[in-house]
Amino acid sequence: MLLLAIRRVAIRLVAGAAVLFFVLPASAADPSKLIETVAAEVINIVKTKTGADRQAAIRQVMQANFDLPFMTRSALGKHWNQATEAQRARFLTALETAEARAYSERFGQYDGQTLSLGKVTARPNGITVVDSKLNQATGQPIKLEWEVRDNGQGPRITDVKVEGVSLIMTRRSDFNSYIQNNGGSVEPLIQELEARASR
Amino acid sequence: MVESLSGTMKRKARRSLVAMAVAATLMGGCATGDTGAAEVWDPIETPNRFLFSLNRVVDIIALRPVAVIYRDWVPEPAQKSVRNLLDNLGEPVTAINEVVQGEPGRAATTMARFLVNSTIGVAGLFDVATSLGLERTKEDAGKTIGLYAGAEPENGGFYLMLPVIGPSNARDGTGLMMDYLVDPFRILTFNLAIDWTAYQAARYGMNVIDYRSRTIFALDDLEKNSVDYYAALRSAYTQNRADLIRQKREKTDTKGELERRDNLALVR
Repeated sequence: MLLLAIRRVAIRLVAGAAVLFFVLPASAADPSKLIETVAAEVINIVKTKTGADRQAAIRQVMQANFDLPFMTRSALGKHWNQATEAQRARFLTALETAEARAYSERFGQYDGQTLSLGKVTARPNGITVVDSKLNQATGQPIKLEWEVRDNGQGPRITDVKVEGVSLIMTRRSDFNSYIQNNGGSVEPLIQELEARASR
Repeated sequence: MVESLSGTMKRKARRSLVAMAVAATLMGGCATGDTGAAEVWDPIETPNRFLFSLNRVVDIIALRPVAVIYRDWVPEPAQKSVRNLLDNLGEPVTAINEVVQGEPGRAATTMARFLVNSTIGVAGLFDVATSLGLERTKEDAGKTIGLYAGAEPENGGFYLMLPVIGPSNARDGTGLMMDYLVDPFRILTFNLAIDWTAYQAARYGMNVIDYRSRTIFALDDLEKNSVDYYAALRSAYTQNRADLIRQKREKTDTKGELERRDNLALVR
């Protein structure tokens, strides 16, 4: 009798643990939850911080939630392979600074924007696309699509598309053209980005 | 006789095949295995860049300042009315494109909008139709061509920098011309032999200022955050247009679109 009761409890415990095990990572790995958290954090930063503070805070959010190495690699495209390890590291830092600055300046003053999430499409290649709309105080809402990838360390954002324009693809086109017009090597581009970062 | 005739026909067929191939190359660019990740096809980059620099001079000394003044000094309701008026004048062209796109229902809604706004909406100054539940759509012939062309929406033929208007490509440039040709308002003024040059100039001029005022933020951002503004704009324009065309296509081809996205991510 007692044995049976213990067994029942044990089964329940195992079942409960199994449920926990399957439910918890699923909710933590939910791409739309990630976008929601990031949006809330960024809106909070934009509301409370300005200037260098804001840039630093946004950089932290990016480091925690964006797959920066993957984005960097995408942005450099075919030129990634010919870059040395040192160049890659410098490029990563320079691009990170550039992105953090771009985002912190892009938002300007908080003006009642809200983000409403839409459809989530999981793709067999591991990329999840989260559709969303940025509602503005005046004018049409802006269409934002987030690409999220889970690389084993939880979901990370790999790209943002604004009205269909991928920020990474645009950077890649931009960088590629710059490299081609400056002798076909990565070095001038990295120097240019570093010069801009220190400005 | 028969033999020579068939020979001529064969030759003709061959010639038209060659012509088709040439046309396909012109329109299609580097279409093979295109996943959209490839660079924009820009065979006339040097003249394009030259025109781009001219456009930028005009933009810096004239268009942008006027657009900034328009955006910041003209009261919001007035801007909205101007926007509505211009949109209303563009409605017939949208309707024509929607018919060609095979959406007569949408075209009817657009024409209903046009009739409601032109009358109750005081010549289009007020967008009454939207509050009546007639939603606005905006179509152009570039999108119509893109809808039917077999190519990737990213592939609009060669990239083309137009004077004042700015970034375009073979597809959208052709579309622009077609829209201009079928525009009932243009045809009307032409046929009535009234000299409405001033009215036409005002309409196109206002369109440019209004459009520029709504792109100040995005273009400033793009310029500030790029090392090669020309290339960044080329990419952004191409992606944005492709997205619009894809939205049209998606209704019929969701699976293909999702597969393309996968390929794109894999290529990266």
